[in-house]
Amino acid sequence: MPEITYLEAIRQGLWEEMKRDENVFLIGEDIGRYGGAFGVTHGMLDEFGPERIRETPISEATIVATAIGASLLGMRPVAEIMFMDFVFLALDQLVNQAAKMHFMFGGRTNVPIVVRTPGGSGTGAAAQHSQSLESMFMHFPGLKVVNPSTPYDAKGLLITSMRDPNPVVFIEHKQLYKTKGEVPEGEYAIPFGVAEIKRPGKDLTVVANNVMVPRSLAVAERLALEGIDVEVIDPRTLLPLDTETIINSVIKTGRLLVIHEACQTGGWAGEVIATVTGSRAFDYLDAPVRRLAGKDTPIPYNRELERSAVPQEEDIEQEIRAILAGKY
Amino acid sequence: MPVPFIMPKFDMDQEKATIVSWVKGEGDFIKAEETVLVVETEKVAIDVPAPASGTLAGIRYQAGDAVPVTAIIAYILKEGETPASLPKNEKASVIAAPIVLPPASAAFAPVPVTPVAARLAKEKGVDLSKVTVEGERITREDVERYLSNKTAPRAAPVPTSRVAVPATPAARRLARESDLELEAIRGSGPRGRVQAVDVNLAADQKSAVAASINDRPARLVPLAGMRQKIAERMTASFHDIPHIALTVEADVSALEASRISLGGLFEQEENGKLSITALLVKIIAWALERNPYINASLENGQIYLWQDINIGVATALPNGLIVPVIHQANKKSIREIAIALGDLRARAQENKLSLEDVQRGTFTISNLGMFGIHQFRAVINPPESAILAIGAIIKKPVVIGERDEVAVRPMLTATLSADHRVIDGVVAARFLQDFVQGVEVPASLSY
Amino acid sequence: MTNEKLKKSEKHGIEEILSGDGAGDLLAQATKLGLSHEQLLEMFRTMCTIRHFEYMADQLYAAGKVHGTMHLSAGQEAVAVGTARAVRSDDYLINHHRGHGHFIAKGADIKLMMAEFLGKDAGYCHGRGGSMHIADFSSNSLGANGIVGAGIPHAVGVGLALQMKKRDEIVVAIFGDGAANEGVFHEALNMVALWKLPVLYICENNKYGMSMDVERATAKLPIAQRAEAYGMPWYCIDGNDVLTVYETMKEAAERARTGQPVLVETLTYRYFGHSKSDRNLYRSKEEIKDWRENRDPIKRFQAQLIQAGWLDEMRASQIDAEALKVIEEAVAFAEASPDPDPSTLMEFVYA
Repeated sequence: MPEITYLEAIRQGLWEEMKRDENVFLIGEDIGRYGGAFGVTHGMLDEFGPERIRETPISEATIVATAIGASLLGMRPVAEIMFMDFVFLALDQLVNQAAKMHFMFGGRTNVPIVVRTPGGSGTGAAAQHSQSLESMFMHFPGLKVVNPSTPYDAKGLLITSMRDPNPVVFIEHKQLYKTKGEVPEGEYAIPFGVAEIKRPGKDLTVVANNVMVPRSLAVAERLALEGIDVEVIDPRTLLPLDTETIINSVIKTGRLLVIHEACQTGGWAGEVIATVTGSRAFDYLDAPVRRLAGKDTPIPYNRELERSAVPQEEDIEQEIRAILAGKY
Repeated sequence: MPVPFIMPKFDMDQEKATIVSWVKGEGDFIKAEETVLVVETEKVAIDVPAPASGTLAGIRYQAGDAVPVTAIIAYILKEGETPASLPKNEKASVIAAPIVLPPASAAFAPVPVTPVAARLAKEKGVDLSKVTVEGERITREDVERYLSNKTAPRAAPVPTSRVAVPATPAARRLARESDLELEAIRGSGPRGRVQAVDVNLAADQKSAVAASINDRPARLVPLAGMRQKIAERMTASFHDIPHIALTVEADVSALEASRISLGGLFEQEENGKLSITALLVKIIAWALERNPYINASLENGQIYLWQDINIGVATALPNGLIVPVIHQANKKSIREIAIALGDLRARAQENKLSLEDVQRGTFTISNLGMFGIHQFRAVINPPESAILAIGAIIKKPVVIGERDEVAVRPMLTATLSADHRVIDGVVAARFLQDFVQGVEVPASLSY
Repeated sequence: MTNEKLKKSEKHGIEEILSGDGAGDLLAQATKLGLSHEQLLEMFRTMCTIRHFEYMADQLYAAGKVHGTMHLSAGQEAVAVGTARAVRSDDYLINHHRGHGHFIAKGADIKLMMAEFLGKDAGYCHGRGGSMHIADFSSNSLGANGIVGAGIPHAVGVGLALQMKKRDEIVVAIFGDGAANEGVFHEALNMVALWKLPVLYICENNKYGMSMDVERATAKLPIAQRAEAYGMPWYCIDGNDVLTVYETMKEAAERARTGQPVLVETLTYRYFGHSKSDRNLYRSKEEIKDWRENRDPIKRFQAQLIQAGWLDEMRASQIDAEALKVIEEAVAFAEASPDPDPSTLMEFVYA
């Protein structure tokens, strides 16, 4: 199977679906000749033309609104918000409009839009270009929140997103764009609400998203050499969230650690922990449930400060060891 | 029909408005939309327009009155109508019934209620007839007061037993499942927290102790089922009942002779063997009739001298013992007793005894004679007060006659264990005396 | 009044516009516009229906039957009816919170509107939306928005889809004078003009946002002139003369249909407050009275029809009474309808 990057996988997903369904079109800033701020849409203008690779002025609210309006007539737009941080300019359209129209109108219409947006820190882009906002999106009923960590997951989930009749926020991570993985050519769709056990284990359950998945896996491999067996679960979609897989895992291991880059307070780790401790898994917990998250600060510019603001491999390893050693 | 002029609602939560002044008066011609009066709500003064054109009539409230919303405040007469066509209104007071809305209100109250209160009551499932009223109609405050009284915080029942041991949920579950006390387990976690591994260790130790005591090998048989029951009952009996034991020897020559000759009859008629136990049951039943305190139970601080004489015969089973009962043994003939005994024994071996077969015993006999046991002491079978342990018939030299001659006679040793709370030594002795009498002189049973 | 004159006039030109003769000779104009006697009477009837709907809504609220609030458009009937008759019945409509009139004019089922109003399951939105979120997608009524101005950029998307699919419908997007100051107004006008989308924007300037006079909120009037900044043609007209509205919208719609988006500002007035908690403290009784008596769109149209001999007082009353009856029947239908089943609370969260 060919090995391609996360970024290429996303492009492939868009490309192939646009060939299959003429209702799909892309809309966003600089996605044409420029190829997108990160290069995702490189080459697509020549293939599909300016109508379907629709570049816009800098008008985030209207980018999302245009997607909404077009979707009411049966089109399947994929809007790009260049940096997740800019989504705030379009929040009324995303939350008050897209997320609620199916409901307020008694189910009489659908808003099948996808809003693709990259987030995350590590590139020195500083406070307004480095946020992780998936916890916020999870809070709005009517939206679906998708968060792939591998090229395989990215393409499969993107295809499902484009076919879902609900508004989907498709969250990419800047630091994952260059990571590589095996991706099948052609069509395959990964269902929402199905977490993947990226690494089975029996001593402790780690639940992590996007960039924290490869970091957790690296740590797990190192710990395995010492006989510590960590299970790593990637939820893949945060809304809908596959709570059953997580609960069953915790029943097996008795220990849970949730890891995300997003700031700790109000972060989605709390959501998972509340669900798990309130479930039948409670009787199997043998250690306090812990989370490892970004510090409650905007992302700083200085490289070392930036690094220390979010969990790194060494932090993950330290936390896992501490839990297993009964430090808490 | 005159058009009712209602006090309109301006705010979602509004219940009443106070009339500031009437701009138009009784008998004035008014046009629709024209301001007729000015009212005041909590917020501000408002001009109230006429809902229709016509003559203003039947004004019910004056400046200064606080009027509930949707109450009729006046009427508008159409052309041709006169004040006489107005609906009769006995008391032009605030008790006039307002329009109670919303229409589908499930809680119908004879006391008028404001729309806001009606809606709140419906939402919370309040029976408006239970709500006490401050003014002339039920307001939102009344409903809210009713609700807060109703839901006075009731203290949650405090769980009576709470294990205040720091332990993880997994440890607690495992302790429950293994029937271990958390307090007895040493915790290896921080601050002495009991972890799952600690409970598992304790459970292993528990079963390890049971399996090898002082390192001697043994095959483990769990104490369960019948074994466990027997263990429990024996412990209780020994623990609760002060046992005394009295022993007698009886010459069974006559008994043996009876057994042989009656046995022949039984063989002919019933096609079975007549055991000596059947004869003994009959004799004991006679002796119990003469010694009621042996056929008794001490329960609830009272001694029950049973009217029935139900004799249980301890029977060995592969895994334990069972005591089927011959009910009303004193009223049965030897033949009947023998038949019953045979039937009970057979069914016991096949595990086919019913509950009735083993219930309501008042006395038990236990015979180990077939194993050559000379004499033994049995444990009383509660709630009975006595048990007779019968040993083997052994030919012994005995001294008989006036000239103290030694002869060989078949002798049977029987030991009575009795509950000293109910049966004194003398009482027990008398019973045994009768027993010996019955054994040695069969004709005694017709005495 | 020409745009050039408007741009030069001091106070928005509103006085001049509104004191104009309006329709002038109705017969001549109707002929010019190709409107038949029946069509004119039908327009009159629809205006009466809208008026009665709004007044009935107010009464229902005063009687405590409506949960929440409502935004009534009594006084703005000419804009609704003139526009709806001028565009095609399959043209798309993006509406706003003060949009009952537009729905009714576009042919909505009054019973279902009233049921939605009262929160019933039989309503257009199964009682989930209420007054502010009525929609009828089957007739291309794309819903009313509760966020001021949020529908303006939706029109970009609808127009874009129409263009990409090479269809010949247009999208009519209605907003108010207050909405014209939202950021998305500018984003959207820029983009529809840039992409040449079939959009007819209508700014219903009823002089007030919530309580703020348009003159205090807007740096330069007329609002419609902003379209020039985006290279779009614009009109500013007397919104209370139904035939003026009709004529203008017909022309504007045809332009939009060719891919030339247009902004039409209609000057009009609302009699009720912004919403039910409005005390009308920001305007005088005299002003309201003036508009009611001298500039009421239904009165004016009726006068024109009578003058042209196509209507008399009695027939007018009759049509008005028939319109009221339709509303009353709708109320009866709505009141008799059941509420939604509480167990269906989560039903429409996801498609």
